[in-house]
Amino acid sequence: MLKRLLFIRGAELIALAILATIPLTVSNTYVLGLLTLLAIYGILLIGLDVTVGYLGQVNLAHAAFLGLGAYAAGLSVSLLGFGMLGALAVSMAIGLILGGLLAFPALRLEGPQFALATLSFSALSTTVLNEWEGLTSGAQGLSITRPELFGFPLKAQGFYWLCLIMLVLVWLAMRNLLSSQWGRAFEALRDSPIATDAMGVGTYRHKVAGFAFGSSLGGLAGGLYAFNFQYLQPQSFTYDLMVILLLGVVLGGRKSLWGAFFGATLIVLLPNLLSNRLLFEIISALGLLLAIFAGAQGLKNKTTQPFQAIAPVIAMGMLVVGGYMVENTENWRKAIFALMLFSVVVGLPDGVMGFTARYLTRLFRIAPPDLPPASALDEVLPAQQADSKPMLELKDLKRYFGGVKAVDGISMTVRTGQIHGLIGPNGSGKSTAVNVISGLYAPTSGDILLQGKSLPKGSLFKVARTGVSRTFQNLQLFGELSALDNVMLALKGVYRSSLPLVLLGFARAEEKRAQADALALLELVGLQHMARVHARDLTYGSQRFLEIARALACKPKLLILDEPAAGLAHPDVNVLVEIIKRIHQRGVTIILIEHHMDVVSTLCDVVTVLDGGLVIAEGTTEEVKRNPLVIKAYLGIADDTEVPDVIPAVI
Amino acid sequence: MNSTIIAQMVVSGALMGLVYALIAYGFQLTFATSKSINFGQGELVMLSAFFSLSLLNWGVPYWLMIPGGLLFGVVLGLVVERACVRLTLEQKSEGWILLTIIFGLLGFSAAENIWGRDDRPFPTPIPTEAMQFFGVSITPLEISVALGVLLVMGVIELFKRKTLLGKAFEAVSADRDAAELMGISARHTIMLSYGLSGLVAAMAGILISPITTVGPTMASALILKAFSVAVVAGLDSGFGVVLVGIFLGALESLTSFYLGSGWREAPGLILLIMALAVRPNGVFGKASIRKV
Amino acid sequence: MLIVDNIHAGYGTSEVLQGASLQVQAGKVVALIGANGAGKTTTMRAISGMIKPAKGRVLLNGKPVQGYGASRIAKLGLAHAPEGRKVFGPLSVEDNLLLGAYNHLPLFFGFRSKAAHDLEKIYDIFPRLRERRQQSAGTLSGGEQQMLAIGRALMANPKVILLDEPSMGLAPVIVQEVFNIIRRLKEAGTTLLLVEQFAKSALEVADYAYVMEHGRIAIEGTPAELHKDERMLAAYLG
Repeated sequence: MLKRLLFIRGAELIALAILATIPLTVSNTYVLGLLTLLAIYGILLIGLDVTVGYLGQVNLAHAAFLGLGAYAAGLSVSLLGFGMLGALAVSMAIGLILGGLLAFPALRLEGPQFALATLSFSALSTTVLNEWEGLTSGAQGLSITRPELFGFPLKAQGFYWLCLIMLVLVWLAMRNLLSSQWGRAFEALRDSPIATDAMGVGTYRHKVAGFAFGSSLGGLAGGLYAFNFQYLQPQSFTYDLMVILLLGVVLGGRKSLWGAFFGATLIVLLPNLLSNRLLFEIISALGLLLAIFAGAQGLKNKTTQPFQAIAPVIAMGMLVVGGYMVENTENWRKAIFALMLFSVVVGLPDGVMGFTARYLTRLFRIAPPDLPPASALDEVLPAQQADSKPMLELKDLKRYFGGVKAVDGISMTVRTGQIHGLIGPNGSGKSTAVNVISGLYAPTSGDILLQGKSLPKGSLFKVARTGVSRTFQNLQLFGELSALDNVMLALKGVYRSSLPLVLLGFARAEEKRAQADALALLELVGLQHMARVHARDLTYGSQRFLEIARALACKPKLLILDEPAAGLAHPDVNVLVEIIKRIHQRGVTIILIEHHMDVVSTLCDVVTVLDGGLVIAEGTTEEVKRNPLVIKAYLGIADDTEVPDVIPAVI
Repeated sequence: MNSTIIAQMVVSGALMGLVYALIAYGFQLTFATSKSINFGQGELVMLSAFFSLSLLNWGVPYWLMIPGGLLFGVVLGLVVERACVRLTLEQKSEGWILLTIIFGLLGFSAAENIWGRDDRPFPTPIPTEAMQFFGVSITPLEISVALGVLLVMGVIELFKRKTLLGKAFEAVSADRDAAELMGISARHTIMLSYGLSGLVAAMAGILISPITTVGPTMASALILKAFSVAVVAGLDSGFGVVLVGIFLGALESLTSFYLGSGWREAPGLILLIMALAVRPNGVFGKASIRKV
Repeated sequence: MLIVDNIHAGYGTSEVLQGASLQVQAGKVVALIGANGAGKTTTMRAISGMIKPAKGRVLLNGKPVQGYGASRIAKLGLAHAPEGRKVFGPLSVEDNLLLGAYNHLPLFFGFRSKAAHDLEKIYDIFPRLRERRQQSAGTLSGGEQQMLAIGRALMANPKVILLDEPSMGLAPVIVQEVFNIIRRLKEAGTTLLLVEQFAKSALEVADYAYVMEHGRIAIEGTPAELHKDERMLAAYLG
């Protein structure tokens, strides 16, 4: 614990101390200019990392937010007479608002469409800055005076310290944000948007908030940029800059504050690297060596594919050879960026800092922080009354896919506190029915009532919010998150702090509480010792149990288990039965889809049998097993001569 | 008088819009097979145009230059697939977005240094004297652009519908795994789609160059509008791109007439963001079903 | 004709197949049955190359094919009608069938006439498909889609057909029809590996059967032997 604090905080403090004292010892204005730019780009890249790293989306609008923030800050000084902090607040607000407005439609899209939307936005903002000449002076450029800070004029040195303070504040706020529910939600979104919605966390909301937050940092950086250069031109904020920013984030390392900082350093120094021939040759040769080394290493450990090893070597080789052939490297600036970026994206996807951080953690054996003791289960999952009133009612529910009638009119009632089995041959419509109930699909027709009230249709998120929680037949865990984080993400009723409080670091107490509660649920499924393990590294059985614990974290009235025993080894099936019994004792109503008839017989109070999208029988397990219709459906026989009395235990 | 000017604007804008549609059609081709598109497609248009111009300068006759330029486009398309797309698709990541952007940047820089930063005229044997139709003047060159666009798209659509290879192409877009089981290699189909997409880009470059001249930045405005057309129509909309392309072309030429030429980019961009807000799958696109 | 030898395969962290072995003789119908989640479909996918086996061998007509891509294995004469049918929804019924024969037909022109004879044969087996030849496959009913999936596999004129859960999600009457077709294919001498959840029906048509349990073959034998086998009851009925 102490070691962790020492290393991580220590490194931050040392870096800060060095950065803060350089201007006292070096009086070179050029160096000071570079440092100021470094702080500004640091803020900018931390903002970009929110979308590119954490949300995992290619964002091409960040340069535009820098520009918009810069113009907003400049104009609020010249037109409105704002002071330094006021102007910076305006630039942040512009980033936040425009970012939110753009995110609103754009984030409903995935991947390429999102990238296209952001690309259009940045082209549009360049157009506006160029053409709205009355306000921005268009292509001529806009001169800006640096405003005073609380009545004190800022010289270059003072302004640098202001930028550095801003960087520190952003750094701290970002750290608080990322270690809160927000940070978890960002990462979860990328792994499984479906599960994020199904846990009632709300994919869309978090995406929009994340994007708007990142953009507001872009705006803030823009404000500082404006007061640094005191002259703005629309063409400074175009696609070219955007590519350089992406280079910074990717090369530095995604999902890392240090990575963003390293990337910023690189961007600031790049022009110098290119203008000095010898330096450029050294760098490109080093790059080639690194590419060869990393590629060979990857091939030897079989962690990379041949292409991943060879392509960066070719790209860096082109850089070295090209460096000798061309006369002026600065003319080839873009090609050089492109080759470097290409090598990193293909060969070193974690970036330089991602690579280093992993190496250092292993070298110094830095342990993760300790966990609090688990909460009492009664607090986390209070016992619910099992009064056999209707919990869920389906009324003539239908869902068709083209010509296939997957669910063709199901009516059934699930009673409070019971375990209700849903069985039927493959393709009988069980999974579709559950997907309709939980909101993944909208029904073609029919009604779903939860405790007498109509359930929202076609929205996983809204259904989850009303108290219906589910697991998935094909696991939908957040693989990059730890087991504990998987449960914490879904935890309902713990996170109350608003975003500003989270940013200021006032959410630590509830974070501890959430950890304790999540541990209690992990204990319930027997995974308390696996809390820090990444979900993707758990055994298959443990992953299944983790999904159940996560679903319970939503504190559901109704829990839907979609084939929880599928693919489990025999001992694990017994563990599963125990877990379900324990959940049943807390009074949670359960719908259990299962193929193992022995599991169904042991657990279920009532069983509904589906076939061809219709209910063909309902009753206790024993009744259902003897129903000739059921036997026929299961064995698929039409010759009535030889109908066995009982269907087999396992179908 | 005023209505004639508007008609003139609409017609010449619409002709331009057909070129956007052609490039957007190239996006659809690769999106169908691999759910990916080349963000550096504009550079493909530009590089092919430059290469074709060089062919002419080396004395290659005009009608031989066209297949040469198209072949160059195909090769570039295949290079993009190999270098930027294949690996990330296998990893099921969206790294191809970044990698194709990077490829575009490399192409841009190369063109700047090899062919220079200035715009150069692109000779054409097709006459450029305007003809009058009901007061609207159209040049044979413009007509040739429209015909060229429709010809290329028509031939590729015929290929998709009438040949078995084309049907295999559609099968891969419908269900990649099932297509593999039929012995259709998804990898080869994706290569084919990138090759065709490169061909389409080269065709767009050759068609548009005599009108706009050739330069490193010739495609940067063009490509933004092609993106708009592709997204507004829907990346799986087939001929929807033609309608949207014509509409957008006409709209922007009217915009630049009434608001000033600096604003001509705006309608496409606004349309794109609006279309995304209202119909994320495009006006002519189909909604997809989420699976678990 | 098809030999699977000690094959291991799975998805991500779960190794579903833990050393399954089976054989299909030429001209025989072999059934693969077992509980849900036992690894039947995974076996099929590992054979046809949809997933790469981690260990073990697959021999098609004596030639090792493990680790090949699915399209390459298909070219070597294996047709797999996958679970869930997976017809090409937007394409017409006839196009679906033509694509089944992709490996034998010319890629550009004349494929229709060359396939005409085979098409007629398929339409004779499945008259419903003839009626709907121009309709897009996605609008067919579940049963018709299954017929199409089988027909598409037959069009390849394959050495071996893998048929995965052809009865899935179908009404009992249609299931009967599907099994009648399998019977007809058997009479015609088709080599067939059949995965079925309806063990009884599957055993009625099969020459030989394997019972899977936890990713391994637990029992094997002719249907007659299996009916007598005590272990069969124990394994299959839990």
